[in-house]
Amino acid sequence: MSTHDLPEATEHRLEELEHGLFTSDLSVNEFLLVKEAGFHPVGLVMGSSIYHTGIQTRKWGQSQELTKLTEAMYNARELAMTRMEEEAAQLGADGVVGVRLDVNYYEWGKDAAEFIAVGTAVKAEDGVSRRNQLGKPFTSDLSGQDFWTLSQTGFAPQGLVMGTCVYHIAHRGIGQTLASTGQNVELPNFTQALYEARELAMTRMQDESTRLGATGIVGVRLEEKSHQWGSHIIEFLALGTAVAATGAPVTLAKPTTIISLDH
Amino acid sequence: MTSSTGPGADERAGAFTSALSAADFAACLALGLEPIGLVQGLCAMQSTSFGRGVFSLATPMAPSGGYLANYPCPHGFVTGEHRPFGQNYEQTWLGHAWRDGYGTARTRLVDAARALGADGVVGVVEAETALADSGVLEFSLRGTAVRVAPGGLGTAEPFTTYLSGQRLAKAFEAGLAPVSIVGSFVSVRVWASCVTEFLLGGSPLQTWSSPSGPVEIDQLADAHARGRELVRDDARAQLRGGHLRAARLEIVERELGPGDIEIQARLRGNSLRPVGEAVALATPQPTLRLS
Amino acid sequence: MSDPRPVPPDLPALVRAALSTTEDGARGAPTTSDLSIDEELSLHALAWEPVALTTGYAVVAVPAGAWQWGQGEIDVASSAHERAFTQALRRLESDVARTGAHGVVGVSIEREVAPSHIAVAVMGTAVRPRGAGARKGTPFVTDLSARDFARLVASGWEPLGLATGASFVYAPRRSIGTALAQQSQNVELTNFTDALYGARERAVERLQRSAMSYQGAGIVEVKLEEGPLRFASHAVGFAAWGTVVRLAGDQHLPMSPTLVVSLDDETRAFEAQTLE
Repeated sequence: MSTHDLPEATEHRLEELEHGLFTSDLSVNEFLLVKEAGFHPVGLVMGSSIYHTGIQTRKWGQSQELTKLTEAMYNARELAMTRMEEEAAQLGADGVVGVRLDVNYYEWGKDAAEFIAVGTAVKAEDGVSRRNQLGKPFTSDLSGQDFWTLSQTGFAPQGLVMGTCVYHIAHRGIGQTLASTGQNVELPNFTQALYEARELAMTRMQDESTRLGATGIVGVRLEEKSHQWGSHIIEFLALGTAVAATGAPVTLAKPTTIISLDH
Repeated sequence: MTSSTGPGADERAGAFTSALSAADFAACLALGLEPIGLVQGLCAMQSTSFGRGVFSLATPMAPSGGYLANYPCPHGFVTGEHRPFGQNYEQTWLGHAWRDGYGTARTRLVDAARALGADGVVGVVEAETALADSGVLEFSLRGTAVRVAPGGLGTAEPFTTYLSGQRLAKAFEAGLAPVSIVGSFVSVRVWASCVTEFLLGGSPLQTWSSPSGPVEIDQLADAHARGRELVRDDARAQLRGGHLRAARLEIVERELGPGDIEIQARLRGNSLRPVGEAVALATPQPTLRLS
Repeated sequence: MSDPRPVPPDLPALVRAALSTTEDGARGAPTTSDLSIDEELSLHALAWEPVALTTGYAVVAVPAGAWQWGQGEIDVASSAHERAFTQALRRLESDVARTGAHGVVGVSIEREVAPSHIAVAVMGTAVRPRGAGARKGTPFVTDLSARDFARLVASGWEPLGLATGASFVYAPRRSIGTALAQQSQNVELTNFTDALYGARERAVERLQRSAMSYQGAGIVEVKLEEGPLRFASHAVGFAAWGTVVRLAGDQHLPMSPTLVVSLDDETRAFEAQTLE
């Protein structure tokens, strides 16, 4: 299955949506706020990829990036994202909000995982295209609430950007462990490894946003997961929504300060 | 319990006890209700088969009153392995025992509140404990006795409610006054007919061709529907002029053996009585929190 | 959610009066509700009222052998799920219609997928505009909370019903040869992608088709859940459901939210992270 070949059921489903029905996994509040921001939901869009990650040898005592795993994690998410974007493009959407990227593991698939991207495709109600500079629908992991707030600040989302780095953190030799037992010492190579891995993930994310001509990234999250690799292999995943100024005036009202009485 | 704070006692004579949180306590005072003391009502009930079902008869137990429905075998076989008929029946003795136990605990809670000169009990919490395999079910109700400040109204029948704090305050604002806590329990036993048993996968019997398309298991669906209906009807009968509010219905299905299922329905809630005209509430203002 | 209303100063007087009166306050038949008091007040502000706690339940048999490893979609499971879900909703609707209510909100949905059967239990509080008579036609069903229902109605929309769809599939088999060849490589398992992606799409497609019968504008709060399939590790199932909505009047009414900044201490400024 190529990225340009969505499953048969997708074609059916998207054709049905062209008759005017929309589907959306937005909550009522999010739905109303997306409307408030001048957009209308057109359909629930998703992309999926079941990916087998290869094996990479690593040295017990060496901290290093596992490029093969990095590649796998990136490619699989990219496949899922691209398919979701294609579904959105097919619906004539301007963008996708509330994107969730999940990884599922199933009992039947060793070393394989399902990467899935789900979101709600939206279209501007004024008919003016809000696609990004690549001519593709923008994607964003912002909630309906954040999407509305962002729209009031004169910025518009350009794309969900991500960078990942799978890193092997060296096991320490027995000698080293003994030498440092009972002492408070910094473990320089440990610090260095974590630092480098995060840095790589963040840089890759920033590169993606540059390609979109974005002026910044909002809502950046840095997730650290060991998935099913054991504790010394960690994936650092940086995720955020790249945004660009639209030139529209800032209409965000000054917030009221409240103290809530409920608990 | 606060024995020092009897009816009419000076409120400064003894410290009150209360299980309310600070916020609920504050809300109580804002309502003009002053906490007097912690009160409780207990009752332990013995019944034939609370706890695990001990049931190994080949034919179902004849029910005594209550819901009963027969599901005859459409095949007319008479063999040792083929069930001649199936039955759904309400285990009335369990329902009676549960409801008696709950009712008695509630009466004792109210009695304890009255003895303190309270007008009501707020923030009732309850525990229902089955003493393992002994067929004993223990009910424990606890709450904070309150009276209308100052001095109390000398209510003959103090109210009880699971609500407390802001929720109770909002109920009053909505024109609802508490009457009583309400609890009910119904147990329905399903003794599967040969058809039901087959559909549930209990038997490999294949003497009739299975019809095309999905087949509903009517006997089990009937039992579920009737269990819910019976427990609602019983709760409605306890309302004493109020409406059942903030209720919770819980369903437990247990398989006691092949083709032998028990469905328990528990319903608890508050009987609230409309008083006067409801205070008209403004349409809430939508807000968005910037964090 | 914060409540900007000040506490009325006469609350103690209100309470005293409410508890002193001995009038039998119940007007009409007693009503039942599992809504929280907050939710009831959301309805109250909309001039709606709860009528009765209503339920629906259905259980459908799955033929023996359905879960044995095969190819493609497990049709009997998909159709059993659909049948159980729609029958449970139909029973809920007739329960609601019996009470004279206009619809049911806050519907909880419990699904059980067992080797031999699929059961769906639904429950919610039937509601109607205060004092209104019975409504013509089928009552609406929604899993939206009373609060969300109120927000939706205040914005000019109305719920029409609950749409559902499901699809169960077998996980494809991989030949030993393929498995070995792929051992060390990064590769997409396209037949698996096809199966699972296809199943998700079919579940949502069926959801859309069931929504069309309501003639609504769209479906909000679509839930797309996996399983539950605890007994069959070689099969995967997806079920989708959501509330069909449409504009009740001519246009969408904007709500213009007020921005607030909370002074509560609920967000921790600093959160320590551990690696494992």
